[in-house]
Order: sequence, then structure tokens, then C-alpha cells
Amino acid sequence: MARAPRANSRVDLALLVGCAFLSVVAIALPEEVRQPVASGLRRTLLAPLVALQSTAEHGRAALAQHDAVIISADSLALRAMAVASLERENARLRTVLALGEQLRWGFVPAEVLHGRGLGEEFTVMLTAGASVGIRKLSPVVAPEGLVGMVLSTDPGTSQAILWSHPDFRVSAMTPDGRAFGIVRPHMGSGASRYLLEMSNVPFRNSLAPGTLIVSSGLGGTYPRGIPIGTVMQEDQTREGWARTYVIRPAVQPSDVTAVMVLLPERVRAGVSRVWTTVAAADSGARSIAAAGDSAARRAAMAEVMARRAAVDSTAGGDSVLARDSVLARDSVVPDTLVRPRRTKRAVPRADSARPPRAPRPGAAPGAAPGAAPGAAPRVAP
Amino acid sequence: MSGARAIRALFVFAALVVMHYSIRPLLGWRAPIDFLLVAILLTSVRVRPGTAAMVGFVVGLAADSQTPAAFGCGALVLTGVAYAASWLKAVFFADNLALNGIFFFLGKWIFDVAFVLVERRLHGWTVVTQLLIWSPLSALATAVAGLLLLVLLRPLLDAPET
Repeated sequence: MARAPRANSRVDLALLVGCAFLSVVAIALPEEVRQPVASGLRRTLLAPLVALQSTAEHGRAALAQHDAVIISADSLALRAMAVASLERENARLRTVLALGEQLRWGFVPAEVLHGRGLGEEFTVMLTAGASVGIRKLSPVVAPEGLVGMVLSTDPGTSQAILWSHPDFRVSAMTPDGRAFGIVRPHMGSGASRYLLEMSNVPFRNSLAPGTLIVSSGLGGTYPRGIPIGTVMQEDQTREGWARTYVIRPAVQPSDVTAVMVLLPERVRAGVSRVWTTVAAADSGARSIAAAGDSAARRAAMAEVMARRAAVDSTAGGDSVLARDSVLARDSVVPDTLVRPRRTKRAVPRADSARPPRAPRPGAAPGAAPGAAPGAAPRVAP
Repeated sequence: MSGARAIRALFVFAALVVMHYSIRPLLGWRAPIDFLLVAILLTSVRVRPGTAAMVGFVVGLAADSQTPAAFGCGALVLTGVAYAASWLKAVFFADNLALNGIFFFLGKWIFDVAFVLVERRLHGWTVVTQLLIWSPLSALATAVAGLLLLVLLRPLLDAPET
């Protein structure tokens, strides 16, 4: 019975020696043999375990990267939120650059630093000052139009009031010069506080909603042609001799981040055709309409003249002068909306059926018939 | 060992091998748990020393296939550890958790020492830190994991024959 355990021990020892010998052989294998053997084991016997290990490694990598992915996603979300504002800023800077190209000279670009304190909602600080030529009362403009005016200057900075400031005033007009007025902040309540109003518009001048209002250049502070806003509606006032219109401003102060400050020499030289992108569309549409009316009028006149010539050829030649005068007068009517100022005729029309009235007693010699006593004599054009 | 016991032991062994290639890489610890060593030790105390040596050799060779530079080292060391564990099974009491913990700890540490010495890849200060810091930590983690598994798998694993 004692032989069996001893035999077993010998077998065990033999197995141990055998395994150890094989292990040493494996260690001693040359590199070119070792690699194929190891590779073969990995591809056959260990293939499922290697795949399992690979999956576990990927899972661990995914877990390790989870936080990083979340952080990255958060960062991307934040950047995506900022993209819209960056695009708006880019677009705005492009328009500012375009305005700079239009102005070409006589301006200073500046950044707008909005004050957030109480009472600072109508003033801003500009990052350019007297050292670059900015002076008090220099106009501040943006690509959309008029922003305000420099109130005071330091060597490196300037204080400017916006159009919403209660003291802001600008002489304004329509681009065609048909109506003039004074633009000031609309001192309403709520959102209407951030509108403008154009007052002292003569009662005979009715402005349609959407009409562009630009600076008139009167007064010398603001050059002519800077867009101020567009007409929204007429403000009902008790003044019977003038109209007041509510103006939607071209520039929203809160959106202004970069502006141009016009230097005095540029103000004197004017800024004509700078804001053509806005004004051209408006005046272009009006010009097209006016040209169409003029062409139709000429066609109608030519037809009338043809008929009259046919009648005159039988009646006599006295009407030729009249015809020529009509044609001459019509031919000088320009395709513009600015109407030629009418002057009263000193000499009554030849074809008038009513005889000329005798001058009133006391009227100056040469005064128009029917003129008031003391009226100056008029000269026929 | 009866057939049922053998099947249960084989099932536990396979489960530990699978854990070695799934949980260990998933944890990714610097001082990893060596489930293979736990499997070999748990198996070795239940078989004859010769059989344990063969199991250690096969498992070691399979593990070495993933480190061709040290091919055979793991097989040699695991052969010796498995044989020694099986030969010393009379010394340890299977139901004593503390002794089993020491058994796992020493088995893992001795394996690491032998492996580093046979492999001869590490030199200088690296060998010292590996053998005195990381290997004991890994042995500790292996011992704790081995004890937990021993408790959990007690219904499957009967006490080894002495």
C-alpha cells in the first residue's frame, strides 16, 4: 500500500520536471520561433479570451473617456451657443469695414463701451479720443446710420451721447428734400422711449410710413445724408401748423459695438453717397416710378400735340409759338421728385379769357396786377 | 475527486479565467487582481501536485502568449507555484479564511518575484519598486478578491482533500 503514494509522488515529480523543462525550452526559444507560437496560441486557444479582454479594454476606455466626452460635449454646446453671437459680430464688423471703405478718410473707428450704471443708458464711452483727432460734437455713426454725438473727449477716450439722450437733436429731412424737421428722442414711456420723433414738419408735407429720414446737414454738426430712421406713423399732436412723425431709429444703441467717429474735416466735406446702400434702394424705386410717370406724360403730350398740330394746320400759325413754348417747358422738366418752384406770372396768359385786373391803388409801379398795396414789383421770369 | 466535484471545480476555474480577461482589464488598476493565480491556487489544492503543475504550465503558457518577450516565464513560475500549493495543501486548512488569505497573498507575491527574476526585463530601482510596492499591493488585492470569491463560491467548492 505504501508503493502507491510513492509512485504517485514520482509521477508528480516527473510532471513537474517535465513542465519546468518545457517552460525553460519556451524561454530559450529564439525570437523567430517564439513569436509564431505565441501568435498561434492567441489566435486559437486564447482567441475568445483575447476578444473578451479587448472588449473589456474598450469598455474601460469608454468609461474613462465618459467624463471627458461629457466635458467636451458641454464645451461644444457652449461654443455652439457662442457661434451665433460671433456670427453676428462678424457680420457687424464686416458692415463697419464696408462703411470704412465708403468713408475712405476723415473718420476714426472706435469701440463702444456701454455703461451699465443708472443714468448711463443714454451715454457711451468710445475707445478713441482727442489724440486721434476726435473733437467735441463729432458725429458718431454706424453702418446703419446715426448713433449720436461726442460730448467730451479725453486723450484716449471719448464720451458720446446716443440718439436716445434727452438732449439729442438733429436737423433731418427726407432724402428727396421734400420735408424737413427736427428729430429728437420720443419721450414716451416703455418701449416707445427708444423711438425718435420728427417734429416741425410743415403741415403740407405728409410722409408715408417707411419713408427714410436722413440728416439734413443744417446746423453744421451732422453732415447731410446720414440715415436716422424710417417713418413709423404720424404722432397726433395739438399743433395745427406742423406735423410730428414717430421715427423708427436706424441704429439700436444696445447693438452698437463698433462705430466710426467723423472728424471735423470730414463733416465739412460731407458724406454724400456713403450710405448709398440704404438710400439707393429707396431713391431708386422713386426714380423708377418718376421715370415711368414722365414717359407716360410725354407720350400723352405728344399725342395731344399731334392732334393740335393737325387742327392748327388748318386754323393758322399763331399756335405754333404756344406749342413750342409748351414743348420747351415740358422738355426741361427733370425726372426728379423735386418740383420746380412755381412763380406767379407777372404777365397774364394770352389765352386767358379773363381780362387782366387793374392794379390796386397805391401799389408800386410794375407790381403784379391785383397785388396788395406796397407790394414790390415782380419780374417776369 | 468525484465527477460532480470535478465539474464544479472546472466551472469555477473557467469563471475565474473569464474574470481575469474581463474584470481585470475593466478595472485597470495599477496593482491588478490576478484571477488566474486564484484559479490555479484553488485548483491546485484540490488535485495532485503533478496535475497542478500541468495546470500551472498550461495556464502560464497561455498567459505568456500575450507577452511574447517573456514567453515561458509565466509557465515556469506558475508550474512551480501550483506544484508547491498542491504539495503544501496539507499545511493549509481550506475553511480557514485567514490562512487562505495568506496563501493567496504569498502565492501571488512569490509568483511576481519569480516572474520578475526569470523575466529579467526590469532593472535597478524599477525592480525594487515593483517587488516591494506594486507586487505586495497586487498580492493584497488578489488575496482580498480570492477570499471574497472563496466565500461566494463556497457552495460550489468543497473543502480540499487532505
